[in-house]
Amino acid sequence: MQTEREADFTLDLRGESCPYPVIYTLETLEGMNKGELLQVITDCPGSFRNVPEEAKAHGYTFAQEPVQNGQEYLFYIYA
Amino acid sequence: MKTIVQSLFTRYWNPYVVLLIAGILSALYFGLTSKVWAVTGEFTRLGGDILLLFGVDISGWQYFDMVHLKGTTWNRPDGWIVWGMFIGALIMVLFSNSFKIRLPKQKRRYVQGLVGGIIAGFGARLALGCNLAAFFTGVPQFSFHSWIFIVATGIGTYFGAKLTKTRWWKGKPSITRGAGKPSAVKKRVIQPYVGGAIALVYTGLIIYFFASGQKFLGLGALFGLFFGILIERGQICFTSAFRDLFLVGRSVMAKAIIVGMAVSSICTIIVISIYDLTPITQIAAMSTFVGGVLFGVGIVMASGCETGMMYRLMEGQVLFLPVFIGNIAGATFLAYAWDHLGVYNVLVKGGAKINLLDSIGPIGAITATLAMLGVLYALTVYREKRYHQKLAIKRGANVHAN
Repeated sequence: MQTEREADFTLDLRGESCPYPVIYTLETLEGMNKGELLQVITDCPGSFRNVPEEAKAHGYTFAQEPVQNGQEYLFYIYA
Repeated sequence: MKTIVQSLFTRYWNPYVVLLIAGILSALYFGLTSKVWAVTGEFTRLGGDILLLFGVDISGWQYFDMVHLKGTTWNRPDGWIVWGMFIGALIMVLFSNSFKIRLPKQKRRYVQGLVGGIIAGFGARLALGCNLAAFFTGVPQFSFHSWIFIVATGIGTYFGAKLTKTRWWKGKPSITRGAGKPSAVKKRVIQPYVGGAIALVYTGLIIYFFASGQKFLGLGALFGLFFGILIERGQICFTSAFRDLFLVGRSVMAKAIIVGMAVSSICTIIVISIYDLTPITQIAAMSTFVGGVLFGVGIVMASGCETGMMYRLMEGQVLFLPVFIGNIAGATFLAYAWDHLGVYNVLVKGGAKINLLDSIGPIGAITATLAMLGVLYALTVYREKRYHQKLAIKRGANVHAN
């Protein structure tokens, strides 16, 4: 699955440890307009699991599957 | 076969499975050595070692007598539990090619880590155990102090989570318009080879311990390795168990820990009855409660407890260096305060060692423990449900306002 669309915003969380990646992701999504696309770049291993799971639990949808990029992950989430 | 092995080392494992195995292994370790899986006692001894290195006379400190400060960390089984955990976690990190120096962008995190680490180290030792000896391995020993500790840690974590949510504490993330650039990926993968080399050397060391008759050092080194592998692969985070329930209504880790403790309790009572062992009981007193609250606040401030800190440091998360230093400093300060500042007289003296096996018998002890864990599980589920109910109501209100 590849999105044609470019992200509207990028949340760069590299270097942040848990729980901040989850908190920041949810807060950023909450502040965006519905339908806008957020790109999340994160490198805290704990967040590889809790960011996508919590984004889904909070009712957000993913534009595509998470992308592993070396020691970091990229998430594409619709607000 | 190759793909199974590969996914074993590149994917994280299910936390339920990991904590189930950890629960069984810790009961087994107790059966073999009459010791429990614990780390902060050794942190206190490390603090003592450092004080001795600087020529401080600690011969009169009661706390160091109590935790049996003898020899060096290299000839203490508890020492090898700690180093084994570090090494096991590191090997897994390297096998999965996930080591990376991760520097916090916000400088405040270093201060938060150090201060939180000190408070958590102090609190854990005041209560005589961290999330292991007073929690995950304390409950299965039927030591009542762990019951107090769990409640107190829950309360501390609640306030810690409140603090985490404040603007000045959490800081601001970097948000930019448009698509940002991910990091460039190195083509050459060398980490698994380094991991393999470390694994070989460490295996040699364990064999040496057993071959030279140092059975307990060998068992410490072996089980430390297992525990390190498990906590890294399962990304086991005791801090998040309570905290994330309060922060974002996340319950996976709490549930997995409770299930792990239930299984471990059953295994331990079997081990105790077969080998006729004496369970390890710590004093339940005011200090357990105060220590538990401090520990709960501290681990949330530091973003990790004494166990979670270990594998995160091995992943290259630099934040956990001040946390580790803080943990040892806090534990050492408690050892000083114990008799020099009257902590023992004020908070500990009035307590008693209470073990459920002695007070209500084996059937009563296991029934009460499983019932307590059941209540804990129900509370966790309730809390998660309530969070999402509130969220739904909030969302509904927003739609109306728009």
